[in-house]
Amino acid sequence: MAGAIIENMSTKKLVIVGVILLLFQAFSFMVGGLIAPSPTTAVHYLATKCVDTVKTHHKGSKWFMPWGPDQCSKIRDFDEATAKRIEANNIVFAVHIPLPNREMSAWFQFMLVILQLDIAFKMQNPIDDGALVTLDVGLAYRDSTLSEWTEMAHSIEHRKLSCNFTATKTSENEGRYYDCDLLPFMEVGSVAHKYYLLNIRLPVNERKKVNIGIGEIKDIRLVGIHQNGGFTKVWFAMKTFLTPSILIIMIWYWKRITQMTRPPVLLEKVIFALGISMTFINIPVEWFSVGFDWTWMLLFGDIRQGIFYAMLLSFWIIFCGEHLMDQTERNRFSVYWKQVGPIVFGSFCLFIFDMCERGVQLKNPFYSIWASDVGTELAMAFIIVAGICACLYFLFLCFMVFQVFRNVSGKRSSLPAMTKARRLHYEGLIFRFKFLMLVTLACAAMTVIFFIISQVNEGHWHWGGYTVQVNSAFFTGIYGMWNLYVFALMFLYAPSHKRYGGEQSSADQGGNSGEDIQLTTTITHVDGPTELYKMTGKEAQE
Amino acid sequence: MSSEYLIRSLLMLFLALFSANASNWLYLAKLSSVGSISDEETCEKLRGLIQRQVQICKRNVEVMDAVRRGAQLAIDECQFQFRNRRWNCSTLESVPVFGKVVTQGTREAAFVYALSAASVAFAVTRACSSGELDKCGCDRNVHGVSPEGFQWSGCSDNIAYGVAFSTSFVDIRERSKGQSSNRALMNLHNNEAGRKAILNHMRVECKCHGVSGSCEVKTCWKAMPPFRKVGNVIKEKFDGATEVELRKVGTTKVLVPRNSQFKPHTDEDLVYLDPSPDFCEHDPRTPGIMGTAGRFCNKTSKAIDGCELMCCGRGFHTEEVEVVDRCSCKFHWCCYVKCKQCRKMVEMHTCR
Repeated sequence: MAGAIIENMSTKKLVIVGVILLLFQAFSFMVGGLIAPSPTTAVHYLATKCVDTVKTHHKGSKWFMPWGPDQCSKIRDFDEATAKRIEANNIVFAVHIPLPNREMSAWFQFMLVILQLDIAFKMQNPIDDGALVTLDVGLAYRDSTLSEWTEMAHSIEHRKLSCNFTATKTSENEGRYYDCDLLPFMEVGSVAHKYYLLNIRLPVNERKKVNIGIGEIKDIRLVGIHQNGGFTKVWFAMKTFLTPSILIIMIWYWKRITQMTRPPVLLEKVIFALGISMTFINIPVEWFSVGFDWTWMLLFGDIRQGIFYAMLLSFWIIFCGEHLMDQTERNRFSVYWKQVGPIVFGSFCLFIFDMCERGVQLKNPFYSIWASDVGTELAMAFIIVAGICACLYFLFLCFMVFQVFRNVSGKRSSLPAMTKARRLHYEGLIFRFKFLMLVTLACAAMTVIFFIISQVNEGHWHWGGYTVQVNSAFFTGIYGMWNLYVFALMFLYAPSHKRYGGEQSSADQGGNSGEDIQLTTTITHVDGPTELYKMTGKEAQE
Repeated sequence: MSSEYLIRSLLMLFLALFSANASNWLYLAKLSSVGSISDEETCEKLRGLIQRQVQICKRNVEVMDAVRRGAQLAIDECQFQFRNRRWNCSTLESVPVFGKVVTQGTREAAFVYALSAASVAFAVTRACSSGELDKCGCDRNVHGVSPEGFQWSGCSDNIAYGVAFSTSFVDIRERSKGQSSNRALMNLHNNEAGRKAILNHMRVECKCHGVSGSCEVKTCWKAMPPFRKVGNVIKEKFDGATEVELRKVGTTKVLVPRNSQFKPHTDEDLVYLDPSPDFCEHDPRTPGIMGTAGRFCNKTSKAIDGCELMCCGRGFHTEEVEVVDRCSCKFHWCCYVKCKQCRKMVEMHTCR
C-alpha cells in the first residue's frame, strides 16, 4: 500500500480531521449519557402461590393468573397448604410479566428471567448435596387483557441448586434463608406481546426421586431483565445514522482503489473487509423486530458482533505483517494462517457455544447450557479453547509489534545513508504504522477504561442538574468510537490521488510495503519532484 | 366554672389523643377477623389508626392488607428476636399491642418502632413484587420516576415505594405532633433506622448477558434481604443502642448522646431516652409487663436466658417432663411431613 492519504496530508489538515472525529466521538458519548436512559431494567417478581383445585379444571383455562379479575385461589404460605392438605403437585407458582398497569413492548428487544429460590433452613429438612430442582414451566402470552392465554412454550427443566448456609446449622438458626446462586431461567429474543404469564410447578415424585431433598422452599422470586425502550430508540437512531456514513466512505474508498492501475493489495482488501463487517453490524435490521416477532435477532446480533471482532483482530495482525519491512514478500492471506487461524478457531468455538445456548433457546426459551453437568463442561471447554486462542493471538500480535519496532529502529539507523526516495518510502511506512498503533492503543485503552468505569459505577452520575447514564454512554460512546476508527482508517489509509501520475508511469507493481528489490528498481520514478518536495516539507514540519 | 371544666376536659381529650401510642397500628395484626381490607369504610373501623392514618388508608386501601401483614411480621420477628429475654414481646388483646412497654422511651420501644417501620416497608415492597398493588415503582409520588414512564426507562425499584409508604404511614403520627418533643424525635429516628436496616443491607446481584453471555452487558439490581436478616440487624442495633437527650442547637432541637464521651449515633443506630425497667415482676399498672414467673430458662447459660438472670434471683422449679417430639421425619416439598413420635424425658426449669 504505497502512498496513503495520511502521508500526503498536511499536518494542519490531519489535525482538522482529528478534531472533527473527536467532536463526533464526544457527541456519541453525550447521546448515550444524556438522552438515553440506562440500557436495561431489572424488575422483581414474587411468584403467587396458586392452588390447582379440581374446580379450576372444570373452568377450562389451565393458566393461573396471580392477580386481576380472574385470579386463581391463592395461599399465602405453605403452612396454610399443610393445614388444607394441598399437595405439592397442585401448587402453581404464577408470575405475570409485567406488573399491573404496565405493558411490555417490542422496543424491549429481549427479555431474560432469573430464578431465585428462597429456601429456609430446617434442621430436619436440609438441602442435599447436589440437589436438583425439577421445574414444570409454561409460558403464555396475550395481547389484550380480555383475550385468552396462548401457550408459547412448555418444558420440564432441571436446575442445580447451589446453596450455602452462612450461619451455623443449629436449631437456633432455623428459619434463616440459604444463600443460593441465581439460576438462569428463561431467555426470549423478542418481546412481541404485551402480556406474558409464567406458571411454574415443582412436581414431587418420591419413587423417581424428583424434587426430593430440595429443602423448604418458601418463595420463588424472579427477576425480569429487558432493554429499556428509550435506549433501544437511541441505539437504533445511532445505527441508522452511522450506516450511510460508513457505507459512503466505503464506496469512496473502493472507488479510489479501483481507479488505480494496479490490483488492490492485501492490506487494502482487509481494510475494505473491515468496512463491510462494520456496515454489517451497523445496518439497523433491528427496526424489523419492532414489527415482526423475530426471536433470532439476539443470536443474529451476536453473530454480527463476532464477525466484526474477528475481522478487527485479523486486520491488526495483517497490518503489522505488512509493515514488517523485512524484505519478505507477503501480500497473501495464506501467509497469515498461523496468526489468523486462532482467531477463526476461537470465534468458531464461541459461535458453536452461542448456537448451543441461544440457538436452542429459539426452540425452548427455558433451555440453559449451564443447567446440566455435560452442558457445563462443554460450555467451559468451548470458552477455555476460545480463551487459549485469544492468548495465542495476543502473543502473536505482541511478537509482531515487537518485530516491527525492532526493524524500525534498525531502519532508522540506516536511514541517512539511503537515497532520498527510499528514505521517504520507509519514513512513510514508519509513520503510517506508528500512527495506527497510537490510535489503536488509544481506542483500546478507552474501551477498557470505560468498561471498567461502567462496571464499577452504579450506573449513573448526577452532575449539576443532569443525570449522566454512564452505562449508556459507554455503549454508544464505544460503538461510535469503533465506527469512527473504521471510518478514519478507510479515509486516511486510502491510496492518495497525488501518487497517480507516478504510479501510472512506473507501474509500481503491487506497491508492496516490504518489497525492497522492487523499490530500488522503480524508486527513481515513483515520486515526482513536487511530491518529494511536499514530503520533505512534511517531515520538516514534524 | 363550667367553661373551665369544658376547657379542662377538652385538654384532657387532646392529651389522650396525642399521648396515645404511635405504634397502635400494630393492632392491625390482631384483626384477622376483619378479613381483607377492601373498601374505604373498613378503614374507619380499624382500631389503632389515628385520623390521618385513616385518611392514608382510604387513599391506599389496596396497600392496607400488606400493612397488616407487615404488622404481623413485626410481632413475629420481635417475639423471635426477644425469645430469650425477660420481656419477650408478649402481646395483649388490646391497644397498644405490646402494652405500656412501648409507650415509654425505652430501648425496647426503640426496637419495636424500628422493626415495625422496617416491616411495613418490607411487606409493601413484597406486595409490589407480587403484583398486588397497582402503583408501586411507577407511582409519581416516589422519587426517581422518569416522566417518560415504563416503556422509555422502566420504573424505579419497588423498595423505593415500600420505604416511601412506610415513611408516610408510620411516621405521620410523630409528624403531626410537630418535631419538638423528644419522644417524637426519638421515634422518627428509630423508624428511619429501621428502614435503613433494609436499605443498607440490600444485596446487589448481577447478571451478564452480552455476546455469548459475556459481561460486556451486565445488569445489576438490588434484592431485599430476608426479614430475619433485617431483624438480626435491628437486634444488633438494639444491643448497641445509644441513650440520648434533647438539646437545643441553635433553633433546632436535636438528640445527642447523654454521655458525651460516646461517639454520636449514626442514622442506622437506635436511640432511647429512658432506661428500661427490669421486667422481672408482673406490674398491673403497666400492662404488657408480664414478669418472668413461669418462664422457661436455661440452667447452664450465663446469659439473659439463663435461670440466674431470667428469674431475677427468685430461683426456679425443676421438673422432669416427658416430651413427645417429632423425629426421623420425611419431608416432601411443600406440605407433606411424615414423622415418628419420639418420647424423651427432659428437665424443664421454670422461674418461680
